Amino acid sequence: MIWLTWRQHRRQALFTLVGLVALAALMIPTGLMMRASYADKGLAECLRVLNAAQPDPERARLCNRALNQFADRFDSMSLIGVLFLVLPLIVGLFWGAPLVAREVEQGTHRFAWTQGVGRRQWALVKFGFVAVVAVIVAVVYGLGMSWWATPLTGAAQQSRFDVIFFDMQGIAPIGYTLFAIALGVCAGVHWPRMMPAMAVTLGGFVGLRILLTVVARPHYLPPETRTIPIQGTIGEPGGALGDWILEKGIRNAGGRMVLSDAQAACSGAAGPAGGKCPPIVEFGEGAYNWQLYQPADRFWLFQGIESGIFVALAAVLLYLALRGIRRVA
Amino acid sequence: MIEFVLDARSKVNTYVQLIQQVKQALRVGLLVPGDQLPKVRDVAQSLAINPNTVLKAYRELEIEGLVEGRPGVGTFVRRTLGGPPLADQAELREDLVAWLRRARTAGLTPEDVIALVETTLRATLAAEAARTQPAASAG
Amino acid sequence: MDIALETEQLGKRYGRRWALQDCSFRLPAGRIVGLVGPNGAGKSTLLHLAVGLLQPDAGEVRIFGRSPYDNPATLPDIGFVAQDTPLYRDFTAAELVQLGGRMNVRWDAALARERLAQLGIPPKLPVGRLSGGQRAQVALALALAKRPRLLLLDEPVASLDPLARREFLQSLMGSVTDSGTTVLLSSHLLADLERTCDHLVVLHSSRVRLAGAVDDLVDAHRQLVGPRHVGETIAGVGTVVRARHTERQSTLLARIDGVVDPEWTVHDVTLEDVILAYLADGETTVARTDWEVPA
Repeated sequence: MIWLTWRQHRRQALFTLVGLVALAALMIPTGLMMRASYADKGLAECLRVLNAAQPDPERARLCNRALNQFADRFDSMSLIGVLFLVLPLIVGLFWGAPLVAREVEQGTHRFAWTQGVGRRQWALVKFGFVAVVAVIVAVVYGLGMSWWATPLTGAAQQSRFDVIFFDMQGIAPIGYTLFAIALGVCAGVHWPRMMPAMAVTLGGFVGLRILLTVVARPHYLPPETRTIPIQGTIGEPGGALGDWILEKGIRNAGGRMVLSDAQAACSGAAGPAGGKCPPIVEFGEGAYNWQLYQPADRFWLFQGIESGIFVALAAVLLYLALRGIRRVA
Repeated sequence: MIEFVLDARSKVNTYVQLIQQVKQALRVGLLVPGDQLPKVRDVAQSLAINPNTVLKAYRELEIEGLVEGRPGVGTFVRRTLGGPPLADQAELREDLVAWLRRARTAGLTPEDVIALVETTLRATLAAEAARTQPAASAG
Repeated sequence: MDIALETEQLGKRYGRRWALQDCSFRLPAGRIVGLVGPNGAGKSTLLHLAVGLLQPDAGEVRIFGRSPYDNPATLPDIGFVAQDTPLYRDFTAAELVQLGGRMNVRWDAALARERLAQLGIPPKLPVGRLSGGQRAQVALALALAKRPRLLLLDEPVASLDPLARREFLQSLMGSVTDSGTTVLLSSHLLADLERTCDHLVVLHSSRVRLAGAVDDLVDAHRQLVGPRHVGETIAGVGTVVRARHTERQSTLLARIDGVVDPEWTVHDVTLEDVILAYLADGETTVARTDWEVPA
């Protein structure tokens, strides 16, 4: 049975391997380049400088320049990252959906299921095989991407929580890939034709990913709030810490939100750098910056939760596929 | 060994065709006692017919005492079929030729002759059968 | 007698339409059974129920006494060649033989290789590149290598040219003689069935019209020609299967149960006559209701 699965899918497996090698050939050199440049420019040190409570203005200026240079050179790289967002979907479309659908479309299930092996065992081996392949692929590229993207997110002073960056690295891709595969398989069992199965996979995957990202992910854990007095010249205090800022605004002394989606700093002329600003007329005395955020150190926890949700969904879908396969004829 | 052929358009049952061919071969001397009939498998395969049909024909021939099955070996001819060899039938043949001439002068076409022979043959056989087994004739 | 396949009130429904209904018959082991019927009569449905690909919606089907659905224990007894002989087209014949060995408890690889060699099938070519006849032969060889007690073939020769069809039936008959396997073969090529089958199941409009040993069926039916007959009973005639009338004369195909009224001329029938009579039966009345035309 394992031999059949391997023999049947070895070409697909080969294509997948070639694809991964090609990606590695692209990612490893660029990754090394970015890391070298990151170290050269001393950006790690820079970030510490910029995030200090009272940044030295001269060093901050130099650092900002270095960061901008780095960003100019490598920002387009994050486009490559987008490719990795669709990778789980591709795996689901081309590994998951055809697994049963193709078999039924070509009628070969009638051959396979009337040999000595019952169809349940057939399905278990097949599903298991693609799941294992999917996990291996996902682990390799998920952790690979974490390594690759570190300098990029760091330099851009971006949170790893940001939508694209969160989704393409760490262990979340494992969940996505498994889910996409399971969705494809399940769709193939219930709509045993290639095109409908692929369409359902595409729609289901994209829909659920967007839904969970937008609606559910910010609430995996209760967010924390933080207030920052309006001082200094840094536009957005706390931003470089890697926290995931869900909401921000300026509240007046009474705690009422006076301007949402904004943070205030002293205007350069108005006050001494690093000192307390004179009250800003618009907001009144005692106004402060307010943030609702998920702390940066929750990154792996969130990765785990996100991954866990999709793995659980994948398990449910595979169970449904196993049940449904009894009714395929 | 003989080879069977099938007339697909014939209304005669397949197994009857096989029996007729064996008997014909016995009659003309193609098969003599001790000869082996084609193996059931070979007949079934070459004619693409049901092996049970072949078995049925061979069984019928066995019941008639013409052949005998030797388990694991095959089916063999036991005795040749009835009548004297064709050479000994010259006298009958002469009679028939004379009769045919008379039929032609009486205006019978070949088709008429065949019809007459067939109906007469059938009627005679039926009459004979009725004489030997009066009870069965009702069925 | 050993019963290879038995159905009891068997039914299968797709949505609201019954593909097979009220289907009851028994196939004695050792027979070669023809399954006849027009397209859409339920032949494939019946075969798929018999090999456990489908779950019955009503009644029961049993293979050597066991229900085949969701029951892998029955699989070794069954050899199945589905319609259009689906095989993994990128596998070579040799690989398919190897595959069978890995997916079956009982597997006679030597037999399969022997057969394929005899037929001159290239072992190293993907079966997708073989001719239809060769592919059918590969499928048959694989089914036979399971050494099944019951071999089910769904329209195995329908898409083959006459020569390939003949060769297929030849090798089927040859190997069945050796193995004594019970065969259930669906086809609408009556001439082939007449040669190869000794038992018959006729399906029409999802119901069994006729089932039994060929010799018995042919013996039981006669064609009768006589004076115009309008439904009154005729001595010696059981059921009239099909009747055609002119103003003065009626031609009937009927099941007889005694000595027929001497007013009628009695002719023997062939298997094909019987099958056609049963298949034609009822067709026009159904069509007339469907078209809302008075009969």
